[in-house]
Amino acid sequence: MAAGPYNYSYIFKYIIIGDMGVGKSCLLHQFTEKKFMADCPHTIGVEFGTRIIEVTGQKIKLQIWDTAGQERFRAVTRSYYRGAAGALMVYDITRRSTYNHLSSWLTDARNLTNPNTVIFLIGNKCDLDAQRDVTYEEAKQFAEENGLMFLECSAKTGENVEDAFLDTAKKIYQNIQDGSLDLNAAESGVQHKPATPRSPISNDQPPSKEGCAC
Amino acid sequence: MDSIIQDHIDPADLKKFEALYRDQTRRGKVAEKTQFDYAWCLIRSRYQEDMHKGVALLEDLLKNEKDDLAKRDYLYYIAVGHTRLKEYERALKYIDAVTRIEPGNHQARQLHQYIKKKMEKDGLVGMAIVGGAALALGGLVGLGAALLKKK
Repeated sequence: MAAGPYNYSYIFKYIIIGDMGVGKSCLLHQFTEKKFMADCPHTIGVEFGTRIIEVTGQKIKLQIWDTAGQERFRAVTRSYYRGAAGALMVYDITRRSTYNHLSSWLTDARNLTNPNTVIFLIGNKCDLDAQRDVTYEEAKQFAEENGLMFLECSAKTGENVEDAFLDTAKKIYQNIQDGSLDLNAAESGVQHKPATPRSPISNDQPPSKEGCAC
Repeated sequence: MDSIIQDHIDPADLKKFEALYRDQTRRGKVAEKTQFDYAWCLIRSRYQEDMHKGVALLEDLLKNEKDDLAKRDYLYYIAVGHTRLKEYERALKYIDAVTRIEPGNHQARQLHQYIKKKMEKDGLVGMAIVGGAALALGGLVGLGAALLKKK
């Protein structure tokens, strides 16, 4: 595809990971459709969603791969981690086992992404406070010890869902600005797009591969 | 949906799962999970031959499966395989089977919509080709008639 006018200047790749039934697909759906999906069946393999957001005046397209939490899919879903700029790692605040498994998800995320990948910890279902099984404080501490960003969210009410996705993008953008994320690295998970079409007069050079959407 | 259909597996990953599958085949017992992982990778390959092979491996798993959730997964990925091979009619049959197990499945619904759109587009292109051929034929007949008149 030729480099043309894009209505966004960056593409960030995200992955969503975590145990089965913690609400990964519902978070994605809430973020992309602004709706809560009740009775969501377990994801088959992977799902995909996109949304264009704005961070400090820059339009950014998020390409989000939502992975199935079932153990049977785990081996192959790992192949989607590569080249992710952001990883949302989700547990369910009402089920301690999903929290206890975080270290295993974190190991995967660290091993299979690059050192600059922003990892955001999400404690989902915070609308169900009466059934809480994991305190905010201990998750916060786990996040701090492991250098993760952290929020409790509710895919059902929408609380903090925008913030989790947007704060991840802000952090990635900040990493680009301060030079710690190298855009030319093969697996940075970020693609830069020319925001405006090039003027036809100056366009006598062959189009560069960099702006290619393929 | 485009991204799911057009996504390609890293050849190194495909090799890894292939090695595991071959190793187990040699030992005489292939685990279902190994076969499924390998089939899923084959379906995401760039090559049609691999996709066909992936579909066949999933068909084989489906034959002996009793569990509905596992069946659903195999059926869905067979549908994805056929979609990637542009065998849309067949893909739709498998999507119907997924919907029979799980009526509200949105991944099946999205794939269904994607295929219908593709078929419509291909249909329009087909009609344009037929239309073009008709025009060309009309031209030839006209030319023949003109030549006959001349004589």
